[in-house]
Formats: sequence, C-alpha cells, structure tokens
Amino acid sequence: MELIIFRGVRNIVDIAPPSDVCLRNNRPDVCAPYLLGVLIFMFLLVFLLPAASVASDDENCLMCHKMPGLGRYAKGENQNAVKRILYVNEELFKASYHGRLRCKSCHQGVDEIPHTDAEKVDCASDCHIQDPSSNSEFSHRAIVHDLSMSAHGAKQVKNGQVEDLPNCKYCHSNKPYQRSDTDHQESMKFLNICLQCHESKEWAERFFKHINYRASTRRSSKQVVELCGQCHADRVMMDNHDLDVVVGFNDTFHGKAIRYGDAEVANCLNCHAPYQSGFSPHSILSQRQSTSPVSNENKIETCRQSGCHTEAKEEFATSGKIHPSSFTTVQMMSRNTLNRPGEADPDSEFQEWVLHMISLFYKTLIIVVVGGLALHQILDLLAIRRERKLREG
Amino acid sequence: MNTNDMSEKRKFVRLTKSQRIQHAILFTSTGLLILTGFMLQGEQWVIEMFGSAGDTIFWWRSLIHRIAGVAVTIICLYHILYVTFTKEGRSWLKDMFPRWRDLIDVFQNVGYMLGLRKARPKMDRFTYLEKLEYFSVWFGMFIVITTGIMMWTEYLWPKFYLDVADAFHLGEATLAALAIIVGHIFAVHYNPHVYPMNRAFIDGYIKEDMMKEEHPLWYERETAKNEQ
Repeated sequence: MELIIFRGVRNIVDIAPPSDVCLRNNRPDVCAPYLLGVLIFMFLLVFLLPAASVASDDENCLMCHKMPGLGRYAKGENQNAVKRILYVNEELFKASYHGRLRCKSCHQGVDEIPHTDAEKVDCASDCHIQDPSSNSEFSHRAIVHDLSMSAHGAKQVKNGQVEDLPNCKYCHSNKPYQRSDTDHQESMKFLNICLQCHESKEWAERFFKHINYRASTRRSSKQVVELCGQCHADRVMMDNHDLDVVVGFNDTFHGKAIRYGDAEVANCLNCHAPYQSGFSPHSILSQRQSTSPVSNENKIETCRQSGCHTEAKEEFATSGKIHPSSFTTVQMMSRNTLNRPGEADPDSEFQEWVLHMISLFYKTLIIVVVGGLALHQILDLLAIRRERKLREG
Repeated sequence: MNTNDMSEKRKFVRLTKSQRIQHAILFTSTGLLILTGFMLQGEQWVIEMFGSAGDTIFWWRSLIHRIAGVAVTIICLYHILYVTFTKEGRSWLKDMFPRWRDLIDVFQNVGYMLGLRKARPKMDRFTYLEKLEYFSVWFGMFIVITTGIMMWTEYLWPKFYLDVADAFHLGEATLAALAIIVGHIFAVHYNPHVYPMNRAFIDGYIKEDMMKEEHPLWYERETAKNEQ
C-alpha cells in the first residue's frame, strides 16, 4: 500500500513540475502555483507514510528531502529565478565527505517548517562530531581563518568587491572523489590489510577512505588550471582587483605538458602553494609578500622543490616571467597576451622587446626566404615548361 | 618510355655512400624533430584528439625529440670531421663554397626564367640554390643545437635566457621546416627531370642528360678528367 502511494507520488513529482517550461520561459509566476500544489501534496504525505519506513536519519530530514523534484524558485541575480533543488539523494550523501554528519550540523536553525529560520551554512561552525585527535568538536574554523588571511581573504581586497572571492564551496564542490574504477578497485584491495586487525568493516572502510582520499590529489592539473583560470584569466575581474591576467600559462612548457595530461609538471598550486614546502592552497599569498613561495626571495627554493628543477642555479629564478607571458615563443603563432597597463618594470619591458624582436626577425626571414624559394620554384617550373614547348613545337 | 635510353646513358656519382648515410640520418632525425617539436604548438582540439593517451604520447614525444636531437648533433659533428679530414669531404666543401660566380648565376638564371635571357648560366657541381640550402643547414643547426642544449640544461640559465633560446629554437625550426618543404623537397624532388623523386639520395647517381643540363661546368670537368 505504502509502496503504491509512494510510487504514485514519484510519478506525479516526475511529471508534475513543468520545470523545463518554467525555466525556458523564465516565468516562475506561472509555475509557482503548480509547484506549490505539489509541495502541499508532499507535505500531506508526511502524515500518510509512517516515519520509520522513510529514512534512518534521526532528524527525519529525508522524510521530505528524499523526494526527487523537491525544489523551489528563489530570487537570483537581476530578478531572474534560480531553481534550487532541495532533493537529497541519500546514497550519494552517505558516500560524500560529510556523509556521517547530521544535517543540522551544517544547516543550523531549521527548527520550523517551512524553514524560515534557516541560517546560512558556515563552514567555520562546530559540527558536533568529535575530533578523535583532540576530543573536542570538529570544525573547519582554522582553515576558514587561513583562507581569510590569504590573498583570497576579504582583508586583502582593496576595492571591496568581496563577492568575487572564492568561498569554500567554490573549490570544494563536495563531489565524491573522482578517479577511474580500476584505481578504486586497486585501492580497495588494500582495505583487506586494515581488516586483518579491525573487525568492523564499516568503520575500517570509513577511515581508509578518509586517509586515502586526502592522500590523493582531488583535481587533475588540467582541472586546477581551469579552476584558477575561471577568475585569474578573466580580464575584467582582474582589472577590477588590480591584478595581472594570467593568460600566458597555457603557452608555457608547463602549460603545454598539462594540456597533454602530464601529471608531473607544475600546475598553479605546485608553485603558489607547494605542499612539499609546507604551504597550503588555503593560505596562498601575493607574490609581493615576502613569505609567499613565489616572492623574489623564496622563488628559487620553490623551483628547486624535489622532482622539479632541483639543481637550479640562483640565477634561474632571477629574470624572466613564468606568466603572464606577453612574449615567449607563442608570438610565432600569433597569439599574444597583455600586461597590466602602467605597471611594467624597465627590465621586463626590455626583455619583452628582445623576444619580440627575435620573433619579428624570424617572421620576416620566413616570409623572405620561403616566399623567395617558392617564387623561384614557380619561375623554374614555368621556364622548364617553356623549354619543353620549344623542343616539341 | 624508352628503356634503351637509360642503359645507353652514362651515370655519374652525385652522392657517395657516406654522404647518403649522412643524408638519411639527417632527414630521419629532422623529420622526427619537426613532428615531435610542433606537437607542442598544437591547438587545443589537436591535443584533445589524443584523449586519455595524451600523457603517454607526451612522454614519448619528449623522449623522441631528445633522441633525435642527439642523433642530429652527432651527425653534424661527424660532418665537420668529414669535411675537414676526408678527401671526399674536402672536395665537397671546396665545391660547395660560395663564389662571386654564384651571385652572377642568380641574376642570369632569374633573367632566363623571366625570359630576358636566351640560355641558363652554366653552373658547377653545386648550384647557388644548393649552396644556400647547405649553408642554411649549418647556420640553422648551430642555432637549434645551441638553444636545444640550453633548454635541456635549463637549471643552469636564467629564465630570460631560456625564453630567448625558446624563441630562437621555434623561429629557426619553423623557418627550417618550411624551407625544407618548399626549397628542398619541391626543388629537388618535384622537378620535372626526376619527378616524382630524385633517386640520387638512394643510389647516389645522376643521369648524364640531367647533369649536362643542370651542372654543365661540372660535367665538362668530369668528362675531361675521364678522358685523360
């Protein structure tokens, strides 16, 4: 009986909100009554279904939030409606980083229905799970503090455009760790070693995953470059914050290797937050700060980190730029990048001029030499044809 | 065509065995260098074609580029020894050396091709175009080998020097690749006398009629030598 009702609800929910139509026409006013009806129906459903059969979460949030199609339109930018999906897939949630947490650990408030008292999720709050290392409540407060002190923190923004800054979710989309199935199977074999001493498989698997996930990189180099580039390659945004646009990186050797999928070559984080030297992506600093791994004082040690240019001489890091590179070889291919206007030092101006001249020299030479050779070849072929005609005629 | 013609005609040695081997090593390694080198200049969609194999392909690309680079360096050093110490090599270099006569040849030949002159200038063992190509290889190899070694030993140099080396390496490589296609493959192989291929780089011979036409001075010298 329950199952039939449930299936019926699912069907209604699946076909009910003409959400695509609403979105396409951008007419939430048309769809809202319709959606509201669905919501009310689902609300009534709470009384129809015994709680125990719905979810095992003791807060009983999934009673409603397990319904696919549960959602609403919220006011977004420029008065446009934004679709908020409030459906939670229990299976996916349990497998995620926060799968062991109670909903209210993050979603504080929410004591009333509808949740008018919900507070904004704050990653720095205590989450009522005990940190076994200190026996106190766990919190991301320290990391949030690091981020606020870093170049990405609100304190560093001079012009007050804090909305451009990346928040936790910007990088941590809390997706299950991505990697190939074969890798996953291989690493899960290792779990057997844990299970030789630890009896509870569930417990062992959780800890194994905890360590395993954190020991591997979350994003490929290509994804890191894309992530950072979403802001740092945006000329308008960088101009607003008085920063250099990073456009030349993909044309450097590091960038080219990454485009091919090389995992060993340096991506953004390997220089700006080299974990080998104890830096973290949460505390990235401006290169103008002396404690930054890319400051003039520390640059060379960053280049020298193990696996990279370990034998680099002091001069290696003294001149030239890694990026943005308005010059380098890419000019041959007619790509160019620009420096921030009004802040070029004479050294790098001279260097850019030299590199520009080399490329200009070769462009001219190629046109003259190859063009000349081609012309010579055509004239020669015409002359030979003339000779043949003379001989035959 | 008439096969009897072939047997009746005399053949002269254009390239010796050593020269043919040097040429073979040079064009194999240069071909590989151009291919693996320009893989770095590929647009995003080209790289995406490799898909998940990109990483492996990139690894092989880098390895092959270095091996071929070493091969080309060795063959260039060998060639220097060859033109200095062997009789064959010294005669090669002597005949290859630019003379005033070559400049006159340029004007007279261009004049002929434009129809301003009745006959082609009489050219020797190596025409002005062949001399230009040969010394372009010297010049170009000097640049790509020097800058290539610099980039291979990147830890010894300031980044700016490496940028300069990179710019020269790419510039010279682009020039060389295009000059090889237009100036060498077209001029030497896409030539009505020998089309579709000048076989001299395989068997080393040049046919008498072609030699008479393209290198008359050399032909006269060789036949005079034979008659003595």
